[in-house]
Amino acid sequence: MKKYKILLLAICLLTGFSACRKLDIPPKNIIQDPDVFGSPGGITAYMARIYSELPIEDFRYTPDMGLNFFWIIKPTSATTGEALSRDQTGSSSENFNDWHWDVWGGNYTTIHDCDYFIETLPKYASTFSAAQINAWLGEAYFIRGMTYFALVKRFGGVPIVNKVLNYTPGSSVTDLNVARASEQAVWDQVASDFDFAIANLPASNADNSDGSRANKYVAAAFKSRAMLYAGSIAKYNTITLFDGSKNQLCGIPASAAASYFQKAYDAAKLLDGAYSLYLSGWSATDKNAQYQNFVNLFSDAASKENVFVREYQYPNSVHGYDAYYVPRQLMGPNGYSSEVNPTLDFVEKFDGIPKNTNGTIKTLDANGNYLLFNNTMDIFANAEPRLRATVILPGDVFKGQNIEIRRGIYTGSASSGIGPLLPAGSKSQYPTTNLVVSSNSGQTAYTLPDGTLMNPAGLSGIFTGDQTCAISGFSVRKWLNPNLATSQVLENNETQTWIEMRYAEVLLNKAEAAIELQSLGQTSGISVSDPATIVNQIRSRAGANPLTGLATIDTVRAERRKELAFENKTYWDLKRWRIFNKEQNGTIYRVLMPFFSSQAGKYFFDQRTDERNDVYTYDSRWYYEQIPGGAISKSNNIIQNPGY
Amino acid sequence: MKKIFYYSALCLAIAAGSSCSKIDNDAAPSSTITGSTIDEGTGQTVQTEIGSGGTRVKLLETSYSANPVPIYFQSKQDGTFENTKVFAATYKVSVEGPFVPIVQTDNTGALLSDSSQNIVLKNTANLNFKVQPFLRVEWVGKPVVNADNSVTVQVRVTRGTANPNYVSDITDINLYVSNTQYDGSNNYDPRYSKLTSYSGSTGTALLGQVITLTTTGGSLPAQDVYFRVGARINAGLNEYNYNTPVLAAHQ
Repeated sequence: MKKYKILLLAICLLTGFSACRKLDIPPKNIIQDPDVFGSPGGITAYMARIYSELPIEDFRYTPDMGLNFFWIIKPTSATTGEALSRDQTGSSSENFNDWHWDVWGGNYTTIHDCDYFIETLPKYASTFSAAQINAWLGEAYFIRGMTYFALVKRFGGVPIVNKVLNYTPGSSVTDLNVARASEQAVWDQVASDFDFAIANLPASNADNSDGSRANKYVAAAFKSRAMLYAGSIAKYNTITLFDGSKNQLCGIPASAAASYFQKAYDAAKLLDGAYSLYLSGWSATDKNAQYQNFVNLFSDAASKENVFVREYQYPNSVHGYDAYYVPRQLMGPNGYSSEVNPTLDFVEKFDGIPKNTNGTIKTLDANGNYLLFNNTMDIFANAEPRLRATVILPGDVFKGQNIEIRRGIYTGSASSGIGPLLPAGSKSQYPTTNLVVSSNSGQTAYTLPDGTLMNPAGLSGIFTGDQTCAISGFSVRKWLNPNLATSQVLENNETQTWIEMRYAEVLLNKAEAAIELQSLGQTSGISVSDPATIVNQIRSRAGANPLTGLATIDTVRAERRKELAFENKTYWDLKRWRIFNKEQNGTIYRVLMPFFSSQAGKYFFDQRTDERNDVYTYDSRWYYEQIPGGAISKSNNIIQNPGY
Repeated sequence: MKKIFYYSALCLAIAAGSSCSKIDNDAAPSSTITGSTIDEGTGQTVQTEIGSGGTRVKLLETSYSANPVPIYFQSKQDGTFENTKVFAATYKVSVEGPFVPIVQTDNTGALLSDSSQNIVLKNTANLNFKVQPFLRVEWVGKPVVNADNSVTVQVRVTRGTANPNYVSDITDINLYVSNTQYDGSNNYDPRYSKLTSYSGSTGTALLGQVITLTTTGGSLPAQDVYFRVGARINAGLNEYNYNTPVLAAHQ
C-alpha cells in the first residue's frame, strides 16, 4: 500500500510541476487561420468548399429533395407543367422538412463562411498581391450575394448577417437573434454584394477560366437575374407581411419596380461583347445542323455561351441525370428511366408543328377523323430544331435507336376514316374495344393483317399497367449524354457539366427588363426594337420562325420558357411572374398518344388530358415558402410567412 | 467481488425505480375554444374548405411574450370551430380566411383596425367573429339531373364587402363534384367538376346574376354525389368562398 502512495505522490509531483510549462500552443490537429489564409493553396481549398456550398439548382436539385441530393426522381420540370413524371402527381412547394436539406442553417453556414473569409483575408494582405486579394474578396462577395439570393427568392425578407457572430460566454444571446430584414433590404444586399464582386473581380478568373469560378461578368449575369426577380416581385406580388416595426418582410413597394428592372438591364448589358451565343456547328440553311448545334451547346466545354458552370468529376462529385431520365428502352442497370416526360402543352409552344386555330396540335382532318401518318415522326417533320434537341419526339433517333413510343394498336375499321376514340375533352379511360395495349414491357406481339408481328406498345411505352415509360408520349432530350454506354447509365455515375448561367439567359433577362421598363414608362437609353432583336437572335439560333413586329412581355416570356426549359429555371420564372397559381388552377396537363391502326397500316395521334387525371393546383401561399420550424423555435425574432 | 456486484445491482434497481416517480409535466391541455366565423351581412357562418386552404383560428399567448409565436387550428368546413385541447392561458384570438382580415394594415404596415378578441381562457370560451366574406355563393333552386345523367346547378354570387381593398375581379367560379361532403378546391373529382377561370372583368360581370353550371364528362356515376360551388377573387391567399354542399343522386 505504501508503495502506491509514493508512486501517486511521484506522479502528482511530476505532472504538477512540469506539465503547465507550455500548454498555450496551437492544437496540432486543427487547421489554423495561417494554414488556410497563408498560402494560395489554402485559399483554393477554402474556395472549393464555399463554391461547393453555392446554392444553385443543378443536376442534384429537386423541389422535393432539395439541393445536392442524388435522387432526382421528382423532377423540377414535373412541377412546372414542362413535364409529367410518375413520381410527381401535382403542384408542389419546396420541401424543407427532410433531413437532407437544411435550407436555413445551410445557407447561413455559407454566409458565415463568406463573412469569415471577408473579415480574415485582409489580415494576410501582405502575403499576396492586391490583385489577388481583390479577386478573392470578390468571389466571397459573389457567393454571399448568391446565397442571400437563394434565401430571398424563397422566403422574402431574411436576417442580414454581414459579420461573424461570436457568442461570449455569459453574454446575452438576444443580439445574436437577428430579426428578418425587409424583403427590399435583402434584394438591395444581393445587389450590393454583386456590385462589389463586379468591381473587384477580374474579367477572367486566372485559376479557372472555364466558367466554374466567378469573374466580373459572372457576377453581372447573376445580378441581372436577381434584379429581374426583385423587379417582378415589386410589380406582380400581392402578398404582404409586416413586422411590428413596419418592416415589409414580404413584398416590395411597386414604386421600386423600375429601379430593379433598370439594374437588371444595366447588369445584363455589361456582358455585351464578352460572351456570345453558341453557333459552332450552326448553319442558317440546315435544320439538322441547327439541331446538332443546340444539342452540342450543352456539352461543348469551349462554348462561349457558358457564363457560369458547375463541373462534376467521377467519383468525387457525380450525378445521375441519365440514369433517371433516359427513355425506357435505354434503361440502365439500376432500373430507372423516363422520369421526365414533356407535356403536350409544352411541346405545342414550339414552331413547325401543324396546329389548329386555337394553338393545339392538329390531329384531325376536316371530317373530324384522325389524320394518318406512315411514321410517328411525320407529324413533326418540320418541327423547330430546338424542340428536337429538347424533347425526344416519338420515333426520333437517340443513341442510334428509334425511340419507339406507341400507346396501342387500333384494330377497328379504318375504311371510312377513324373517328376520335373519346369525345373531345373527355377525361375518361380509353375504351377497351378495338384496342390492343400492353400493361408493361413484357409484351405479347399482335399479328397484323399482313402477317407481321407488332408489339402493342412501343419499346419506350406507353404501358397501361406501370408508368415506367413515356407517359406523356414524349421523353426529355436536353442534357442527356448521347455517348454514354447503356451499361454506364447508372446513378451517381454521370459527370456532364451543369450550365447554371448561359448567355442566352442574360440576353433574355435584358429583353424582359427592357419591356418591363417600357411598360413602366422608363424608356431612356432603350430602343423599342431591342427586345425583338434579342428574341430573334435566340429564335434564329433555335431554327424557329422569326418574330415580326415588336416583342411583347408574352413573347419574351414564351421564348424564355422554350429556351431555358428543363434547366430548373421555369420554376422560378413562374414564381416571380406570380402566374403559377393561374397556370396550375385545377389543371390537368395534356398528352399526345400515338396509335397504330392495323387496318390502315398507319399511325394516328390522340390528344387528351393526362390519363392519370393528376390535378395541378398551386397554392398561392407557396410564393413565400414556409420558414422551417427549427429557425423559428431558435429565435422568436423570426416571423413565419403568411398562411403557414 | 460477487457482493459488490449485488450491491451495485441493488443500487441501480433503486435508482431506476425511484427516478421515475416524479413526473415533471404540466397537466395536458384541457380547455376548449369553440365558436364560428359569421357573415355580418347574413348572420350565417362563412363556408370554407377543410385543410390548409380554409379558415383557421389564430391564438397568440400574450401573457407569455409581446411577440409570441402563433398557434393555429383549422375551422370546420361549415365555418364553426372547436378545439378541446387548449392550455388555459391568456389569448388574443382572431380568424384568417376568405374574408376581410380581422387585423388590417395599410400598405406601409400601419395598423388600420384590429377586431381580435382577447380572452383569459379557463375551461371553455365561445367566440363569434363577425366578418365580411369576399364573396357570397348561394344556391338558386336545387341541382337538376339531366337526361344524360349530368347535373345542372344554379347559383348566385354576390360580394360580401364594399371595402375597396377587397373588391377585385372574380377569377374563378367552380362547380365541384365529389363523392363526399368534404367537397372543395382540394378535394373534387376532376372528371366531372366544372372549373371556369375568368380574366379581366368577365367574371365580375356575373355578380348578382343567376349562373348556370353543368357537370362535365357526361353521365355521373349512379351513387351519392355532393355538389358545391366555390368562387374567389384575387386577394390575400386566394382562398375560395363556398355555398353549402348539397347531395344529389340519380337512380
